[in-house]
Amino acid sequence: MGRGNFGRWRSRAALGVAVAAVAMTGGLATATSAQAEGGTTLTIGTTVAIDNPNIWAVNSTTEWESVTLQYDMMLKFSDEDLSAAPSLATGCEPNADFRVWTCSIRDDVKWSDGTPLTAKDIAFTYQFVIDHGFGYFTSYFPKGSTFETPDDYTLVWTTPKPMRGPQLPPWVYIVPEHIWAPYADKPNKEIKQASMFPTVASGPYVMTAADPGQSWTFERNPNFWGEAPHYDTIVYRLYTNQEAMVQALKSGEIQIAENLESSLLPALESIPNVAVQRVTADTWINLAFNFGGQGPDSNPLPALQDLQVRKAIAMAIDKQAIVDKVYLGAGAPGETIVRPLSVYWHLDIPDDQVIPYDPAAANAMLDEAGYPMGPDGIRLDPATGQPLILRLPTSNDTPGSEAAGRMIASFLEQVGIKAEVQPVSAGKVYDMQQSGDFDAYIWYWSGDPDPNYQLSVFTSDQCGDLSDGCWKDATYDALYAQQGEEMNQDARLALVKQAQQYVYDQVPAIVIAYPNSIAAYRTDLVTGIVPVPAGDGYLTPMYSYTSLVTATPVGAEEATDNGGDSASTPAETDSDSAGSDQAAGQEASADTGSGGGIPAWVWIVVIVAIVLVVAFVVIRRRPAAADRPDSE
Amino acid sequence: MSRGAGRLTFVARKAGWALLTLAFILAVNFFLFRIMPGDPAALLARSQRLSPEALAAQRAEFGLDQPLLAQFVTYMRETVSGNLGVSLVSGLDVTQLIVSRLWPTILLLGVGTALAAGIGVIGGIRGGWRRGSSFDSGSLYTSLVLYSTPEGWLGMLLLLTFAGFLGWFPAGGFRSSADGGPVDVLQHLALPVLALSLGYVGQYLLVMRSSMIEVKSMPYIALARAKGLTDPDVRRRHALPNAVLPIFTLVVLSAGFILGGAIVIETVFSWPGLGLLTYEAINTLDYPVLQGVFLVSSGAVIFTAFLADITYGLLDPRVRSA
Repeated sequence: MGRGNFGRWRSRAALGVAVAAVAMTGGLATATSAQAEGGTTLTIGTTVAIDNPNIWAVNSTTEWESVTLQYDMMLKFSDEDLSAAPSLATGCEPNADFRVWTCSIRDDVKWSDGTPLTAKDIAFTYQFVIDHGFGYFTSYFPKGSTFETPDDYTLVWTTPKPMRGPQLPPWVYIVPEHIWAPYADKPNKEIKQASMFPTVASGPYVMTAADPGQSWTFERNPNFWGEAPHYDTIVYRLYTNQEAMVQALKSGEIQIAENLESSLLPALESIPNVAVQRVTADTWINLAFNFGGQGPDSNPLPALQDLQVRKAIAMAIDKQAIVDKVYLGAGAPGETIVRPLSVYWHLDIPDDQVIPYDPAAANAMLDEAGYPMGPDGIRLDPATGQPLILRLPTSNDTPGSEAAGRMIASFLEQVGIKAEVQPVSAGKVYDMQQSGDFDAYIWYWSGDPDPNYQLSVFTSDQCGDLSDGCWKDATYDALYAQQGEEMNQDARLALVKQAQQYVYDQVPAIVIAYPNSIAAYRTDLVTGIVPVPAGDGYLTPMYSYTSLVTATPVGAEEATDNGGDSASTPAETDSDSAGSDQAAGQEASADTGSGGGIPAWVWIVVIVAIVLVVAFVVIRRRPAAADRPDSE
Repeated sequence: MSRGAGRLTFVARKAGWALLTLAFILAVNFFLFRIMPGDPAALLARSQRLSPEALAAQRAEFGLDQPLLAQFVTYMRETVSGNLGVSLVSGLDVTQLIVSRLWPTILLLGVGTALAAGIGVIGGIRGGWRRGSSFDSGSLYTSLVLYSTPEGWLGMLLLLTFAGFLGWFPAGGFRSSADGGPVDVLQHLALPVLALSLGYVGQYLLVMRSSMIEVKSMPYIALARAKGLTDPDVRRRHALPNAVLPIFTLVVLSAGFILGGAIVIETVFSWPGLGLLTYEAINTLDYPVLQGVFLVSSGAVIFTAFLADITYGLLDPRVRSA
């Protein structure tokens, strides 16, 4: 009777497992067929969520992509080099003193709900932004900007001082007046919580559904004014685990993966039918020096005021080695503060003027500058008698910052400077930046295609605000002011390059690297993507929706298999499961060696070993007879 | 009559203590998060290009420009009236945010804990009763190995094997799309639940097993056997009711921790739970979200501890003193 009890348990359990198995397979079939309906879908995997799809709450990178996909700007970032290009406006002309700009608006644009788009929508949007002070967007409008619409397709933008205005272009998305006018008097909190599906916008896709923390669905805008996109639906899926995202790319669950870390490059490159896009990113890794003056807690190393010391540090660091080791080669050694993505404005320092990696010269420079080597290999500051020790916090929101920091510390050791690397949270670095309680730190900068913002953070009056180390240089301040007022593009370009050169020569900060942003896609599932900017640009809508409009499914019938994971994996898994012996195991390791390059067969061996060990232990341990009154 | 009144005061006393604890935690939560370095408004300012005026306006909007004590009073007042505020980062209503993550969290941790507890208890009963048997050694060592395995590693292993290598399961997420049915959810749930329950089986198995062993050595068991009862009857009617008491408390308390989420498993499987929400909120210093999530999870723990306290008294007549 006792045995019968357990027997019943066992058979019930077995039944349960069988039911679950049937349900799973049934589920697989349902999942596959569900995806097959409803036209072509492009699924993009990302590691950053869209928390709030509302355009006024835009914050994370994927939220930016989402609005870039749905909305238009008056002038857009050109697909070639991110300079201003016609979009909703066919062109903008300034008057003689650059205080009045007149823009001609296209007359063939409709909102996704059919309402015609006019200059009034643009004027409304700009005024809405200014009235509500949405920080990011407001920064494009000089104080006192006013907007008129003499007719439905002309916008006149007037400011008290000369401005570049539309030429930047302002990174502000145009929203429909008839949707947002009711919110004009509401508080920002309420505006940011407004939720509408589908969005009413003018771009190629509009968001139709959101599954919080999971996926966001965009459908084709039937009234889109531009070249019709090829996919009916675009879905963004969130993966909080990068290896899982690579698996999903492999299985076809997603066709494009973005925000990948460089550590996954070896795995990605070994998957067949996957192309890796190393995007010249819009961020750069910054080693900023502190010049003091923030407040009572500000106590940076005095030697940092000496240009020779900063130059020597710059010469002691092997930037290429950092790019190779920390970013696995996905990136370029840093140079100037306006990053290469701003193709038009970036200054390429000529090779013969680049500060070389030369620790011997760095040592010589420090010797000559009068910093004697101390007893424990650390140089002394003759003015204070103290050793040259740098407190070097690194921010955890900057990928690779800690590893780069440690490499820099070992480089500096070679020239007699000790750096104490302190990995901390971004919040803590912010505190340090405000209080000045550091010597140097590693953080990042990212900016607009237009260099004005990036140049501004090095000016004197940004001390206590955005300035990293309160560097105060009158020459630089003058250069910055000049380029801000120069309306002639060529003249301004010269000034912007001058400013970059000056910062490069004065070393208030060292641009360590321009790390790539890494994306990958299945060449056998999607094709025709035009990256923006051209060449090494983004596959996803960072600056323009062109890349997703041009994306084309490879053959209509293959596209419908994309949703289910079972349909596209059989071919791969058959060849992989044959890899039980060494020879095939090598191939299997190439295919399945994602997530760090440990092949799957190693895992199987490990599991088998564990099972054997456990079994061995179990068999060996014979129970003592006295312990059991009944025998089995 | 007096017995009923005695029980009532017992329950009332426990309830009072529970509420007091909750109030204390509410207060501590507020100050705890503000100890962390950094200023949430300023962190946003960097990415939002806020001018100093705009930053000041943002701080005012968040209520961060008020003196700390004033903020505390507002917080207590609003929380008590059910208003958990809005997220500093996304502007979403915190209550809504938490509710959207509630079901996935309950599903993952509920099923995972139930499975771990179920397997652990059954295994512990059998193992403890037949101490030294092959089943006992096997289950004991296996569960110990699993218990000491890092969750994340176990999860990754399962993911890479079953989702990657074999392709039987999706690589992550709660469901394929918002209209994914229960079967779709089940498919996505399988691996994370497996990872979670495998890791925690050991906890229940060990406690149940040692409790069983202790009870088995009691004199009344020997008496029951001497009376001629069969082994399964002895186990079922005399050993089990006594052995199950400690595990009962453990299970009820574990139920309380369900709403704390499982950050590691959630990250590995891209599961939209409360654990991941907490982690993101910590990184961005999103005070209202942190306060909300901690309120919910501590509230759950306090409530279940209170339940355990009361019902334990119902289960075990020896523990009735108020």
